[in-house]
Amino acid sequence: MFDFILSWLILIPFVGILIILGIPKTQVNLIKSCAFVTSLVAFVYSLFLFILFDNSTSKFQFLEYLEWLPSLNLHLFIGVDGISVFFILLSTFLISICILTSWDSVIKYEKEYYICFLGMGAILIFVFSVLDVLVFYIFFESILIPMFFVIGIWGSRTRKIKAAYQFFLYTLIGSVLMLLAIFLIYFEAGTTDFQLLLNVSFSEKKQIILWLAFFASFAVKVPMVPFHIWLPEAHVEAPTAGSVILAGILLKMGTYGLVRFSLSLFPDGSVFFTPLVYLMSIIAVVYTSITTLRQIDLKKIIAYSSVAHMGFVTIGIFSLNLQGIEGSILIMLSHGFVSSALFLCVGVLYDRHHTRMIKYYTGLAQVMPIYTLFFLFFSIANLGFPGMSSFSGEFLTLVGAFSSNTLVTFIACLGMILSAAYSLWLCNRILFGQLKVHYISNYSDVTKREVAVLSPLVICTLWMGIYPEVFLDVMHVSVSNILEII
Amino acid sequence: MEFNFNIDWIAAIPEIFILVIINFLIVYAVIYSTSPHLGYPILIRNVTWLGVQILFFAFLLNISNPLIGVIAFNNLLIFDNLSILVKSVILLSTMVTLVLAIDYSKFENLNCFEYVILMILAVVGMMLVISSYDLIAMYLAIELQSFCMYIVASLKRESEFSTEAGLKYFILGAFSSGLLLFGCSLLYGFTGTTNYQQLFHVFSTIDKTVDAEISNAIVLGVLFILIGMLFKLSAAPFHLWAPDVYEGAPTSITAFFAIVPKIAILSLVVRLFSYVFYGLLLPWQEVLILCSILSMIVGTLGALWQTKIKRLLAYSGIGHIGYMLIGVSSGSIEGIYATFFYIIIYIIMTIATFSILLSIRRQGNLSKLKYLNDLSGLFISNPQLAFSFAIVMFSMCGIPPLAGFFSKMFIFISAINMEMYFLAIIGVMTSVAASFYYIRIIKLMFFDSETRVNNLNSLSKENSLFLSFCCIFLMTFFLWPTPLALILHNSIIHFCI
Repeated sequence: MFDFILSWLILIPFVGILIILGIPKTQVNLIKSCAFVTSLVAFVYSLFLFILFDNSTSKFQFLEYLEWLPSLNLHLFIGVDGISVFFILLSTFLISICILTSWDSVIKYEKEYYICFLGMGAILIFVFSVLDVLVFYIFFESILIPMFFVIGIWGSRTRKIKAAYQFFLYTLIGSVLMLLAIFLIYFEAGTTDFQLLLNVSFSEKKQIILWLAFFASFAVKVPMVPFHIWLPEAHVEAPTAGSVILAGILLKMGTYGLVRFSLSLFPDGSVFFTPLVYLMSIIAVVYTSITTLRQIDLKKIIAYSSVAHMGFVTIGIFSLNLQGIEGSILIMLSHGFVSSALFLCVGVLYDRHHTRMIKYYTGLAQVMPIYTLFFLFFSIANLGFPGMSSFSGEFLTLVGAFSSNTLVTFIACLGMILSAAYSLWLCNRILFGQLKVHYISNYSDVTKREVAVLSPLVICTLWMGIYPEVFLDVMHVSVSNILEII
Repeated sequence: MEFNFNIDWIAAIPEIFILVIINFLIVYAVIYSTSPHLGYPILIRNVTWLGVQILFFAFLLNISNPLIGVIAFNNLLIFDNLSILVKSVILLSTMVTLVLAIDYSKFENLNCFEYVILMILAVVGMMLVISSYDLIAMYLAIELQSFCMYIVASLKRESEFSTEAGLKYFILGAFSSGLLLFGCSLLYGFTGTTNYQQLFHVFSTIDKTVDAEISNAIVLGVLFILIGMLFKLSAAPFHLWAPDVYEGAPTSITAFFAIVPKIAILSLVVRLFSYVFYGLLLPWQEVLILCSILSMIVGTLGALWQTKIKRLLAYSGIGHIGYMLIGVSSGSIEGIYATFFYIIIYIIMTIATFSILLSIRRQGNLSKLKYLNDLSGLFISNPQLAFSFAIVMFSMCGIPPLAGFFSKMFIFISAINMEMYFLAIIGVMTSVAASFYYIRIIKLMFFDSETRVNNLNSLSKENSLFLSFCCIFLMTFFLWPTPLALILHNSIIHFCI
């Protein structure tokens, strides 16, 4: 059962897709249940990946190998180490959450919708487990196709077309430069196998060029200021589940790429460009936090706060020490829970009132107490309150950054204050105050399904905040291994 | 120089078979279509299927050719692995094109069976082009192919567009043939031979520093031949006829133009410029690089503003030719490999596109679709069709893991291998810009559904079969790309000089 665990994990969503394809369009409930069961099976199965994982070694585990294009020396290599195992878990977890959350809110083309999500699940597992730079690019890019459809077809407003275009073209422009860089690597080293490339050292000049090309792709995905324009648009227009996937996992593909490829393959380039990354990150943290204060769209606030958190992540990665990188991985995971949960909370409101304007909502605490509890909890988690998941990540990141650059740490701490400002102010505006009854006649608190969606995220957030050691233990050896290369 | 009857005739048997059998086909069709007591039957469907049969048997003869690597008919024709591969592709794609057009001919009342015969004759021309081993054979074969295509372009005699297309194609085609012939005569005048092998030996030993005048004339001749080829390939800046011809000709003919002839001319270009004129690499390489950059840019920018489907496809074809020329201009075995890889996948994508365009019609009056906007709302009226079309479009703009990505990947690999970074960067940038108009089509089909919905009917059975086959190929190609890679390697390995 556990011999080819990764291949099975990739195959499970495809089996689900095949079953769904056979179900007639009218049997919506069957389609939904089938998609949900498939994603749940994938999640439970991926838990075994975590259980069977041996955290005493930095080697890649569960390796599988397939001859793919032998004439060009290209092969399919999949395996996980202490970093990627978390992202695979996060992907399978969030895909199930997404399918559950769109149970009632998606009311057209359900069949295609669930096929898109299961397909994304399979592609994401591939992205995080593949050990070949070229194949990584292939799957990194192919996520565009389902996501383009999800934003364009099931998006909410008329600007969705513009958003889908922006998402598609920004990402494509960034990543084609990476493609050229991969070809350069291929001709320099004769292979694109990641494990072999770890033993190849490029000249410093080449490293700088290659690092920049990879960075162009990852910076758009992360996104770092000034490449972040597509993100608020895409988030605002996408359906709730689309935003969850986008914020929860797709952004992590960029930071994961930075940790896995930019740091390990181009150590000199990474050291050379650390000041640039620091500059872009602190601009991201401060600028987007201030921008968040003046947004009037609920989803845009969370989208901009995502950019700010991703700024923390990049600071942590390029602090180039153990605390920094481990902290940034923790932030990535916690952001995967917290911002997804916030998007889900906004989705709850949107399902009831079909607007996301802040002015529309006041005094929700009086009529939706359980919802208020969830929203407040995740807002506090978002601002990095001690005991929540973000705190452990941000704390480690700032400790790591402090040892390499105190000024950057100082400015990043300003970002924490600002994030407290916008989170609390947002809570203040929509949860408290006087209830405008003449605007909203029909309030109902969260349903059982919505509680079932949100409570696992609460548990994860608390667990990671109170006892992050479980996560740190697993990634410890792998991160040390990356640092040894640098 | 002896004339060996057995070998020569056996080697050329597919071409000879088609030529002979086509006479019978003409006689049969003429007798029956003019017979009063049968009531002047419309033979188009019948003749099409017969033509498909002819091509199928020619295909069988071609792949089971026992003689490989033979030079026949007084060194006029060569039959090697490359020619067999390209001929198979041409025969198969023509068969598909003929079948795809059946539905279209029925609805458009294009009841002249002659176009089937002309298309098969053009196929014979192309097969000879691929096999040509002498400048004279090459020129005659190109003319045979071109004349048939001029006629079929103006097939719809009562339509202004079609006659205009035929005339434009004829005049510009004749002009390019003139350039080609002039180049051939210059080469003959200064080298005294028209045979490829002898020309190859002349050029591989030529020393430009010694005899500058003669070599300049030879370079001029080579460039004239190159320009003639680029005309036929519709590469920019010699592309101006392509959008008009694509638009004016009936769609079944446009499908033929878009799918079949490019690979024939391209394999000739590869044979000439990667083998015969390889000694003169520098002068023609510059021209090819320039043309490929221009084609990519013109194809992309031109397509951005089009509102008609067929013009858009013409410009996208120009852009694709630009990518193929990157492979040729790299002048390496990887480049040739990438070029053939690209064109085979391009043919499959084009077959998929035209299987849709030839068959979808509005419900009710069954009028054909002309403008891009007519596709809007396809997702509502026919979701499977819309998804298939979207897959083809994503593949055309090269989004992985669809097959179109791999063709572009090999092209860029070959460019970077020869350190042509500028060309690779331009190619990548234009492919991003080109994705803009491909996803515009997807946007029309999927996202404009709330505003306008055209009720469209479904495809005919043959067309949907071909479409599904092509889409499955495009989607699953990445799982097992080795067979196509191996076939191509076997066919072009002898270009390693």
